[in-house]
Amino acid sequence: MALVGACTAALLPQRSSVTVATPARVLVDPGLIAALLGGRLAGVAIAAAAAVVLDVLFIEPYGTLDVHVVDDVVALLAFGAVALTVATLMARANDRRRAAEHRAREILALSDERERSQREQARLASEKTALEQAEEARRALLRSVSHDLRTPLAAIRAITSDLRDGAAYDEPTRQDLLDVVGDEAERLDRLVANLLSLSRIEAGALAPHLEAVDLDELLTDRVRRLSRLLRDLRIETRLPPFVPLIDADYTLVDQVVTNLLENAARHAPAGSTVQLEARDHGDMVEVSVSDEGPGVPPADRSRIFEPFHTSTGGSPSSGVGLAICKAIVEAHGGRIRVDDAPAGGARFAFTLPVHRIRTELTA
Amino acid sequence: MTVGEGRLVLVVDDEAPITRALSAALTTRGYRARTAANGRQALDAAATEDPAAVILDLGLPDIDGLEVLHRLRAWSDVPVIVLTAEGADERKVQALDDGADDYVTKPFSTPELLARLRVALRHHRPGGAGTDPTAAPVLTVGDVVVDVAHHTASVDGRALDLTPKEFGFLAFLARHAGKVLTHRMILQAVWGPEYGTESEYLRVYASQLRKKLAEDPERPRLLTEPGVGYRLIDRGTPTSSI
Repeated sequence: MALVGACTAALLPQRSSVTVATPARVLVDPGLIAALLGGRLAGVAIAAAAAVVLDVLFIEPYGTLDVHVVDDVVALLAFGAVALTVATLMARANDRRRAAEHRAREILALSDERERSQREQARLASEKTALEQAEEARRALLRSVSHDLRTPLAAIRAITSDLRDGAAYDEPTRQDLLDVVGDEAERLDRLVANLLSLSRIEAGALAPHLEAVDLDELLTDRVRRLSRLLRDLRIETRLPPFVPLIDADYTLVDQVVTNLLENAARHAPAGSTVQLEARDHGDMVEVSVSDEGPGVPPADRSRIFEPFHTSTGGSPSSGVGLAICKAIVEAHGGRIRVDDAPAGGARFAFTLPVHRIRTELTA
Repeated sequence: MTVGEGRLVLVVDDEAPITRALSAALTTRGYRARTAANGRQALDAAATEDPAAVILDLGLPDIDGLEVLHRLRAWSDVPVIVLTAEGADERKVQALDDGADDYVTKPFSTPELLARLRVALRHHRPGGAGTDPTAAPVLTVGDVVVDVAHHTASVDGRALDLTPKEFGFLAFLARHAGKVLTHRMILQAVWGPEYGTESEYLRVYASQLRKKLAEDPERPRLLTEPGVGYRLIDRGTPTSSI
């Protein structure tokens, strides 16, 4: 409206020197601008106001709404039509622009939203994969444990069911079968010990009960206890003259040694030699078990300490034993690894800390 | 010592305690036992020593047991009893469909395994008196009598009123008495070669047959092998020693 006033003020002094076309042309602009800024209604209102102003101030007789000359009537009508049309078109274009801007903002927001949901989806997918892997590991554990439990049970059940049936065995056969039952029962016992350790490891409750342990005594005793399992192998124990005492949980370390010897018995050919060694490395003692079996290919050397991996081949084999060894050794602050034995088989070696009294004395 | 009649049985298992136990059980009953610890040894022994039967563990370290069975079946119809782990239903069905004669789930009872072995050997013996199952016009399994030629059946002397499919089902089971038959085998033999997966048909027919046979749940003749198939046994003998 101010613009209508301004235009009028600028044009009024010249009203006698110009035709009605000039103010008409100029007075279209406020309607146009109003339409641009204020929308359709404002544009139409200003255009109407401009038409009134044009009539009153620029069309004779001045000061009234009366129009006498036909030309002026036509001019006024034309002005009105043009101003209205321009204002309407302008307003419509403006509406479209606003709608387009609004849509653009919406699209932007939607694409942001989409990106967020894609990120969320990716996060959920990776979580799902992790859960599925954990679930798969759990299933693998169950498979391997039930296989490991069933294998000795199958032999025991096969033999006892036959004895109950009254099978007429001769004395040497009967003795041999009793040995099998005894061996398999011991195997079950070792497996159950491993499973108990496994549940402690899983619960995060594997806190070694440390005491001064005489390795010489532990190794000798363990070899003696496993004499039946190891009967087809030659066990060579090599210890330095004075093995330092170690800071360790006797039962847990005994389990590591048991598992490694059992592993050697499983893979080494009958009649071959298994070397059991201890070496003094100052603040650590290294214990190693070397066999003359097929060895462990370099690619598998870290994998075999992972729980429940299934060895290549048909039957799923424990894998639990070596994983337990690793957990026990690491709980003591030691390390376990496997490499090539001098005779070509596998050499498993683990370290354990020397008893602190000596460490303090030599420090 | 007469049961085994010196026949050679090949025992294939990678677990030495199992092969020791089975060798002892077989030897003491007059069989000869040969053991193999993996698939390669098993195929070699089967080819060179011509065993009368094979006891085959499906979980072998080198070649999968099913593959061993497959290769064996390419040239031999020796009776094969597979040893499977519990829960490996698909594998035992696969083994039976691929030509195994029977299966036993570990841990197993040795007398039961030996009973299955005897059934397999009996079925296999070619031309034995009245034992060629395809030729027999009248099949007798305990008190169940199936007259294939006249399409009649009776139990304990009582004539059975059977539909054609029920008769086909019973006749097929009787023809292979004592042997486990998979759902697929029964469907293809009785319903036709385009069938194979419709095991729900069999549940319906087995239930009808049991009613008509007036089965005593304590001493059934028609045994369900869950997830695998059916087996018709001579009720006179306990299940554990068919």
